[in-house]
Amino acid sequence: MISLRKETIYVALFYFFSCAVTSQTIKIGVVDYPPHVNFNEELDKSPLIKYMNSVLLPLNYSLEYIKLPRVRASVELEEGRVDILMPIPVIKDSIMTLSSPLFYAIPGLCFKKENFIPILSATHRFNDLMIGFPANSSLVFALKDSKANLIPLMGENAVNRGIELTQRGRFDAFYHPSPVQVYHRNTPKYKEVACSYFHGYSTPIYVAVANVQIYKLLNTAYQKALSEQSYEYYFANRDI
Amino acid sequence: MLAKNKINSFLRQFFIIVCILFTCLQSSANASADIMKPLISDITKMYMSSMVYIFINQPLINQKGGDKGDLFGERFIQNIKQTYFAKYDEKFPLEDHLAKRALLEAMVEVMNDNKALIYDDEIGFKGIIPATFAFQLSAKLATKGVGLKIKFTRTEKNIRNRLNKPDNWEKSIMLKIIKKPQIYYDDNAQLNGKPAIRQFTPLPMAPYCLACHGSPKHNPLNKNRKKSDWTNIDITGFEMENWTMNDFGGGVSISIEKSVFQ
Repeated sequence: MISLRKETIYVALFYFFSCAVTSQTIKIGVVDYPPHVNFNEELDKSPLIKYMNSVLLPLNYSLEYIKLPRVRASVELEEGRVDILMPIPVIKDSIMTLSSPLFYAIPGLCFKKENFIPILSATHRFNDLMIGFPANSSLVFALKDSKANLIPLMGENAVNRGIELTQRGRFDAFYHPSPVQVYHRNTPKYKEVACSYFHGYSTPIYVAVANVQIYKLLNTAYQKALSEQSYEYYFANRDI
Repeated sequence: MLAKNKINSFLRQFFIIVCILFTCLQSSANASADIMKPLISDITKMYMSSMVYIFINQPLINQKGGDKGDLFGERFIQNIKQTYFAKYDEKFPLEDHLAKRALLEAMVEVMNDNKALIYDDEIGFKGIIPATFAFQLSAKLATKGVGLKIKFTRTEKNIRNRLNKPDNWEKSIMLKIIKKPQIYYDDNAQLNGKPAIRQFTPLPMAPYCLACHGSPKHNPLNKNRKKSDWTNIDITGFEMENWTMNDFGGGVSISIEKSVFQ
């Protein structure tokens, strides 16, 4: 009888500690967002992962990074399968984020290098150009108001297809909500296109959280880290 | 009689308290002014030094290949500090205020945003000129939420970037100083609906401004071309405005929320 009780206690203790260990893990969903998070290299090498490790590891939780496709990522967060998700623009009011953005995405146009337009406030240079854009993205006023022929591309892969069509000369340019993803020095696309930016029209990119408890757990540490060194400044000092 | 004495005593105490409060408020206001005016002046000069550095380094920015490390990170800031010293013959200001630190960080971040382009050996003219750098810096600062706004602007007519259009305060100040350009300081202004200090520092037209804003004879693209082949489109793709050295060159408008000083 005594031995049975002991076993029960051991099982209970084992169960308690396993639960405790599980609850000590923060599941971090990440989407491919080069050069900040780059799925084409080891995740630990991505600057955003390094930065978030420095923010979160002092909290004494183990961190589990889970690569997610962009289309499914927010569902994984909403259904609680990941505790946090980054980096994402806020597209739904129901998604809660840490209180400050990580960085800002600046939209722009990507061109074949020989057709490059460096200053996009010169909107008269868009006259009669064939400019593709992802149908689900909101265009900046400067482009909408121009005399370019704007051609929407449907589908989840619109951005990649648009860049390819630009490379092949089917578009004069392609509107990208965040061209840094294709125009940075660690990507093969860098050799094929050149992008310029609509400065002054930026979108905040956040760390989203699954619930209030996670928010409370992380936000103070995150704000403290930002006050010491913002992610943007940290990133600016990497050799990327 | 006793009641009268009490009232007199109360009034005397009340008067003393009011005097003390007034003196405190007055000295606090003076202290704020002592801090605010130098700060806004330092920020203006830091900003203008960075624009000068970008102008001086057009060959480095636009060259294909070579070491461009001077344009990034701490080396970039050191170079701006040297430019400041050369331009104003005084030491670079202490980085003793959040607004100054935010400005320096924004400079590094803006250059990093342009890194891929600056290192792109297949692109000649990169479009990173003082005016566009200044605008990018302004846009970057606007996202930082530090209560600091910087703008390089001009009278509304012929302004090239519509996002740089002057606001009502800037319009009214330019109207006042356009005939006789001088620094205008206002410690009773508003920014985002909050009390702010603002300063407008006119920029004299310089020969390099005319390369884009002057007439076709100033346009570097027309160098070694027959006059009949000259273009009035400048290197950035805009039509030149035919300004001369006597025209108003616009200015740097800086606003800082007063809450930043508390």
